[in-house]
Amino acid sequence: MIVCLAVVGHQNNPLYIQSFTEADDALKLHHIVHCSLDVVDERVNNPKKSGPTINEAFLGLLYPTENYKVYGYLTNTKVKFILVTTDLDVRDADVRNFFRRFHAAYVDAVTNPFHVPGKKITSKIFAERVSTMVKSFGLSPAS
Amino acid sequence: MGVKRKRFGLLQTHPSVLILTRSPLTLSIPVSKALYYISWLPPPLPNPATQFSPVLIAWQNAELFTLTYGAIVRQLLTDLEEVEEVNKQLDQMGYNIGVRLVDEFLEKSNVSSCVDFKETAEVIAKVGFKMFLGVTASVSNWDSEGTTCSLILEDNPLVDFVELPDNCQGLYYCNILSGVIRGALEMVSMKTEVTWLRDMLRGDDVFELQVKLLKQVPEEYPYKDDE
Repeated sequence: MIVCLAVVGHQNNPLYIQSFTEADDALKLHHIVHCSLDVVDERVNNPKKSGPTINEAFLGLLYPTENYKVYGYLTNTKVKFILVTTDLDVRDADVRNFFRRFHAAYVDAVTNPFHVPGKKITSKIFAERVSTMVKSFGLSPAS
Repeated sequence: MGVKRKRFGLLQTHPSVLILTRSPLTLSIPVSKALYYISWLPPPLPNPATQFSPVLIAWQNAELFTLTYGAIVRQLLTDLEEVEEVNKQLDQMGYNIGVRLVDEFLEKSNVSSCVDFKETAEVIAKVGFKMFLGVTASVSNWDSEGTTCSLILEDNPLVDFVELPDNCQGLYYCNILSGVIRGALEMVSMKTEVTWLRDMLRGDDVFELQVKLLKQVPEEYPYKDDE
């Protein structure tokens, strides 16, 4: 189950943070997201493969904590998507798929002429789409 | 085709308009045609591929058109700050576009003269909107005298991806369309009043434009017969 989704801008400024649990640990999740940014920077600055990488966008599992797994996705404009999930047996393909759809929703939100790049995403339609995607994550196998 | 959403490009096509584009496009005829109607630059050379639909050629350029219009509205809001002023300005811009557009429309579409206002409305909805926006509208709600009708648009390329922020709730985002219709009809001797009844950006399910014919102005000749 996805507990938190975050979109972080290229200057590490938060553009969208949403937690999906009823419990009141939003602060802890924000802290996890913040720490994962360091891991992202590390991955970006020291690429594992020295040759050309095909899909640099999906960063994969950033680091597993005691209860959570954190996945990262980096767009070409250095906007990062961070996904925190409590599922222990999440498939890589599912996460990639999710990030792809999330990226599409993000692009639609940013294309709104009233959205200021660099400011928080205030689109209600984006929030609704994201919560629909989160609900259906992991319920049906990747199709 | 399938445009992959990879990079954003920036185009500064006019001193006050900076367009964020989906893909790095070079300036092509559709953009300059759009600017022609808006800022009266010299018209571009006709290109057989673009004969029929000046601004909307393929669906990739449809996004550019949508983004251009969004940039214009944003810039007007920044410059004028008052929502009512922006509405008026959009209407005025639409009027200026309409008076020029009607000649192109009549030339390309080859429709014969309309017998009455009902036929005019049908032609605008089916041929005009199709030619310039790529969507057809439907005509309904005729009043008893046949001078007022509603054009219903279910699909509007101008408003793809747009959400009105809370401080712009009085904005008629597509007001340019009402100006275009008013301007075009004035050039064919019909004085009309065009208002928005329903607006999808405000929560309604369709766009509804009410077109009211005020009067038919016969041709006036500037000289008087000498007696």
